[in-house]
Amino acid sequence: MSATEWRLNKRPTGIPGLDELTHGGLPANEATLLLGDTGTGKTVLALQILAHAVAAGDGGIFVSFEESPDQLKRNADSFDWGKALVDSEGWASIDARSMIGAEFAGAFDIDGLLSMIEAQAQTLEAPWIILDGIDQLLQHQPQPQLAVEQIRRLNERCESNRWTLLLTGKRDSSERLTPHNLEGVEFMLPTMVLLSARVIDGGLGRFMRIAKYRGSSHVTDEVPMVMTDHGVTLPSVYRPQSERPFEADERRVSSGIESLDQVLDGGPHRGSSMLISGRPGTAKTTLAAAFAEAAADRGERTLIVSFDELEGPFVRNLKSVGIDLGPLIDKGVVRFLELSATSGVNIESLLAIAEELEDFDPSLLMIDPVSALMRKGNSVGSGPAVGWLLHRTRASGVTTLMTSLSNEIDPEGEATVDKVSTIADTWIALDYNVRGGERNRSLSVVKSRGTAHSNQQRELLLTSEGLELVDIFEYGTEVLMGTARMQKQSEEHFKVRRTNIEAQRRRQDLERRIEQAHSEVERLNAELELQAQEDKQTLQLEQQFMQRVRQQRTHMGSSDDSGSQTT
Amino acid sequence: MNQEIDQQESAAPRLTLFVTGDAPRSRRARVNLKAALQTVGFDPADLLVIDLVEQPEQSIKRSIFATPALMLMRGDGSIDATYGDLSDEEKLLDFLSPLAH
Repeated sequence: MSATEWRLNKRPTGIPGLDELTHGGLPANEATLLLGDTGTGKTVLALQILAHAVAAGDGGIFVSFEESPDQLKRNADSFDWGKALVDSEGWASIDARSMIGAEFAGAFDIDGLLSMIEAQAQTLEAPWIILDGIDQLLQHQPQPQLAVEQIRRLNERCESNRWTLLLTGKRDSSERLTPHNLEGVEFMLPTMVLLSARVIDGGLGRFMRIAKYRGSSHVTDEVPMVMTDHGVTLPSVYRPQSERPFEADERRVSSGIESLDQVLDGGPHRGSSMLISGRPGTAKTTLAAAFAEAAADRGERTLIVSFDELEGPFVRNLKSVGIDLGPLIDKGVVRFLELSATSGVNIESLLAIAEELEDFDPSLLMIDPVSALMRKGNSVGSGPAVGWLLHRTRASGVTTLMTSLSNEIDPEGEATVDKVSTIADTWIALDYNVRGGERNRSLSVVKSRGTAHSNQQRELLLTSEGLELVDIFEYGTEVLMGTARMQKQSEEHFKVRRTNIEAQRRRQDLERRIEQAHSEVERLNAELELQAQEDKQTLQLEQQFMQRVRQQRTHMGSSDDSGSQTT
Repeated sequence: MNQEIDQQESAAPRLTLFVTGDAPRSRRARVNLKAALQTVGFDPADLLVIDLVEQPEQSIKRSIFATPALMLMRGDGSIDATYGDLSDEEKLLDFLSPLAH
């Protein structure tokens, strides 16, 4: 036996999320038991796996113990993969409804069934064999161990015939893992998948759990399962293949509002998430829409998910504040997704968004408000739901904007803010400041990862030209807004002017005094010069006088000589 | 074999036992049925036995998923079936009651 033969080979099912849950698919050449209550989606799941196999060129046989071949086709046809399955000749169905209500007089074998399948599967290479509703047959065994023994034999046939077998059966809603007529089957089969359904706040929540997967790692948690036109999906574990490994993007997403970009150091990072929270009427939607418009104007695809409003009024309302999305929607750059906020199980909304993300591949996603995804009764759990969505957007470089109500009277909004704010990269809080009979909108950046940002509130102005952030006016320890800001601004203006005039006056005064001092210096200099001149003249006169005296004295000196000689 | 059944359809009630080779339950069914037929007074020679291992196409044609299977074809063409090794004597006799004289 070669190494590859005994190793567990897995076969992808093509069910979005199931291959992630099982780390690769269901075991090839072995049997998997799929148990669930009525209406949990067993048959659809089996049909979808078959459709995927048939589309990939593999064959299959569907043995139906409950539905007629026509019912099966109708069932499949209600999903988008159904037509291909119905039209394909790569598979065959066997109608085994004759077992419903059949009389049994003792224990039986299922060799008839096996030889039938073998005959049909002869031409098929490694087919999927689906026995849908096997409990309809096996419940007639007088003892459960006989039924279990038959399942074991089925499993053996799989290996020798290279069948990948899927058995579905009902599970009574008791606490036990398996129904009483299949008691002990969990020890016999290598793989068991459980489906369940619960009504949560009026909505039906479906769940899947891998109860057992021998020889393989797998996710053991119960995960939500959703049924849409595309069939069954496990959104919380599904990772689309296109997903790129996450790389931190240094680029910034401009809000289109210069003053806001300045506050955020150029805008949030591409692929990051931003929460805009605030009380009703604080312009959360408008601010988020400004980002959306700016992105769309740059030609980046933008997906707007609205739980609150329909497209028409949404676009109209924004137009009044200078944000015109209409032409951008017409151009196809902006896509608008209306979702119902009242639906009980919001996983469906989450999935609708995920589908649009894949289909439209936007650069920017706006969810207004994100609290709608976090209502009570969300089968995913509110925190994980948004976490999952953000994981998706982050990994594919989609910048996400979420608005959320924060209000004392709306605990839901508070809770949303509590939860989302920890996940979001940037959190902008909007508010009003009421002062002097005015309500002025304010904006402050509570946090912004990887971005230098101001910790101060700004005033947010809604004008017909759009949004504008007015630079804060600091007055001592206060930040002033609206009229108070303007008043204070003009007061301050006068004060500054007064100071300026005062300073100028003082300067002029000093200059004048310097001037005065200068002229004094000049005057004194002149005086000094005059004095020097006077001194010089005096000296000259004195010298002249002395010379005259000396001349006279010399003249007298000759007489003096004789005179002295004589005396 | 088909033809045989068809030919005899219009006649008296026909009884067919479907087995799979020599499987223990198939063997048991033959024994149990033989005893019961004696009780109701049905000639065992008139019993048709079809081995599905030899003729797998019969299992599809007759929609037989569990073996052994006992089929009773009445004169009006309606078919009754019971499955299993026929160890439940009470049920078996009840099933065979249309054959009783």
